[in-house]
Amino acid sequence: MTATIDTSFNQSQGHTSGGTLEARQVSAWFGSNKVLEQVSLTMPANTVTALIGPSGCGKSTFLRILNRMHELIGSAQLNGEVLLDGQDIYASGHRITETRKRIGMVFQKPNPFPAMSIADNVTAGLKLTGTKVSRSEREALIERSLSRAGLWKEVKDRLREPGAALSGGQQQRLCIARSLAVEPEVLLMDEPCSALDPTSTRRVEETIHEIREQVTIVIVTHNMQQAARVSQQCAFFLAELGTPGGIVESGATEQIFNDPRDPRTADYVNGRFG
Amino acid sequence: MTVLLDSDESTSPVVEQPRTLGPASPTSDKVFHGVTLAIGITVLVIMGAIGVFLGLQSIPTFQRYGWGFFTESQWQPEKDILGISAVLLGTFTIALVALAIAFPLALSTAIFISEFAPTRIRSFLVSMVDLMAAVPSIIWGLWGFFLIQPKAIHIAHWLHTHLGFIPIFQVDTDPDAAIWAQSRYAASAFVAGIAVAMMVLPMAAAVMRQIFSQAPAGEREAALALGSTRWGMVRTVVLPFGRGGIIGGTMLSLGRALGETIAVVLIISPAFDIKFRPLEVGSESVSALIAGRFGEATSNQLKALLTAGFVLFVITLIINTLAAMIVSRSRSGALTD
Repeated sequence: MTATIDTSFNQSQGHTSGGTLEARQVSAWFGSNKVLEQVSLTMPANTVTALIGPSGCGKSTFLRILNRMHELIGSAQLNGEVLLDGQDIYASGHRITETRKRIGMVFQKPNPFPAMSIADNVTAGLKLTGTKVSRSEREALIERSLSRAGLWKEVKDRLREPGAALSGGQQQRLCIARSLAVEPEVLLMDEPCSALDPTSTRRVEETIHEIREQVTIVIVTHNMQQAARVSQQCAFFLAELGTPGGIVESGATEQIFNDPRDPRTADYVNGRFG
Repeated sequence: MTVLLDSDESTSPVVEQPRTLGPASPTSDKVFHGVTLAIGITVLVIMGAIGVFLGLQSIPTFQRYGWGFFTESQWQPEKDILGISAVLLGTFTIALVALAIAFPLALSTAIFISEFAPTRIRSFLVSMVDLMAAVPSIIWGLWGFFLIQPKAIHIAHWLHTHLGFIPIFQVDTDPDAAIWAQSRYAASAFVAGIAVAMMVLPMAAAVMRQIFSQAPAGEREAALALGSTRWGMVRTVVLPFGRGGIIGGTMLSLGRALGETIAVVLIISPAFDIKFRPLEVGSESVSALIAGRFGEATSNQLKALLTAGFVLFVITLIINTLAAMIVSRSRSGALTD
C-alpha cells in the first residue's frame, strides 16, 4: 500500500512544474468603460508575483484575465495576449477548460463545495475535468494535495466530513488543495487572506512558500506586509481618476519596497495613500 | 454603586431604574403591521372555511357509504352505488403522466434559461414560458383534443407494440392487427396527461429557474476555474444546490395536475375501471367527474360529489404542504423565504 502511494507520489510530482505567464498589452473593458490599459507583465516560472494597488485599479480584473474568468461577465471584453509558456491562451485553438485546468485560481471568499466531503472537494477538479484515477492514486493525491496546502494533519481523520464544517482558514486551504490537485502550472490567488484571521493568514503564507517550487503564483493583495513577505516580484497598479488602470511600476519586491523609481509607488508602499 | 452610596450619604440613595424608552415602532408601522396581518389571516380563514364547508357537506355521504366510498369503483347514482376508488386512481394516473412529461421538459427548460441561454434572449424565454401559464386551460384542452390526440394515438400504439410486455404500456387490443383499433388508444389518460403537462410545465420551470439562478456565484466560479465545462459546473454546483427547488416545484405541479379539470373533461372518455393503463381509452378524474355530473345531480348526489371534492382538497393540501416543507428545508429553499 505504502509502496503504491510512494510511486504515484513521485510520478505525479515529476511533471509538476511552474509555467511562465506573460501578459502582452492587455486592455479590458466592462461595456464601454475601459478598466485596464496596455498592461504588460511577465510572471516567471516558480516565483511569486504580487499585484498591489488601491481598490478599483484593475488588478483583480487583470488576474481574472490570466485564466479566462474575465469573460464570464456578460459585458466584459479584452484586447492583447496572454502567453502560457509561449502560447496564447486566447488563441482560437485553445480549449478554455484546458487553460483553466493549467491555470488554477483561489478566490477571496473560501468556496468549497458544501455538499461534498473534504476528500471529494480535493478531487472535485479531477471529476470535473474527466480525469480518471485509480483508488490508491486518488488516496495518495488527496493526502499529497492536503499536505501541500498545509491542511493534512488537521483533517486526516475526518476526510468524510463536509467541507463546509471547517473553519474559514481551513476552508481556504482546502480550496488551495483542491486547486493543486489538478496539478496546475500557475496558481492565481485573489486576495486569498482578506477574509481570514492572522493565524490562518500565516498558514496560507507558509503554504505559498512551500508550493512555489512547483507552481508559479500570482497573488493580488491589499496587505503591503503580505506582499513583502511572500513575493519575489511585485507590480504596482494604479488607476488615476477617470482613467483606466495600468502598471505604474514592476520589478523585484525588494526594489519596489525599498527603492521605488516612481514617487507614486513610494507613496503607496509607505502608506501615504490607498 | 457602593462607592456612590458611601460618598453621597448625605443625599438620598441613588436607586437605579431602567429608563422608559419611546415606542419601538411609529404608529404608521403598527397600522401597516395590523393591515397585513389581517389580510394574512383572511387568507387562512378562507382556506379553512373551504375545508370546513366541504367537510360538513361530506358527513352524510360518509355516514351512508362508510369506507365503501373509498373502495367502490363505480359511480352509479341511479343504483345507489357511489365510490371514488377508480376516479382517484384515474386522477393520479393522469397527474403522473403529466409529471413524467412535464418534469424533464421543465428541468431542461430551467437549466437552459438560467445557465446556457445568451443574456439577450433570456428574458424573452422567461416571458414565453410565463405566457404558457397564461393560456386558458380550455385552450390546452382543445389543443390536446384536436392537435395532439391524432398524433398521440400513434405514439401510444408504438409504445404498446414495442413495450407492451411492461404492464403500464398494455392496451386491451391486438397491436399487430392489420387495421389496429385506433379508438382503443384515444381519449386516454395519456392524451389528457399531455395537455395537463403543458399546464403545469410553466410553474415547475419557473420555480426551478428561480432557484438555479440563486446558486452561489463563488461555487460556480470555483468549478469553472478548476477547468470544468459549463455542464460539469451545473452538475456539481447548480443541481445539488437546487435540489429542494426541483422537488418542490415538481410537487407543486403535482398538486396542480391533480386538480386540473376542463382539459380532462374535454379529452377523456369516462370509465370507472380499476386499472393502471394510461394508454388505453377511458379514465376519469375527480375534478372531471364533478364537472361532468354537477348539472344533473340530485341533492344527495351533489353531496357525494362534494365529498369527492373534499378528498381531492385534502390530498392536494397534503402534497402542497409537503412541497413547501421540502423547499424551505433545503439549502436553496432557505434563501427563497
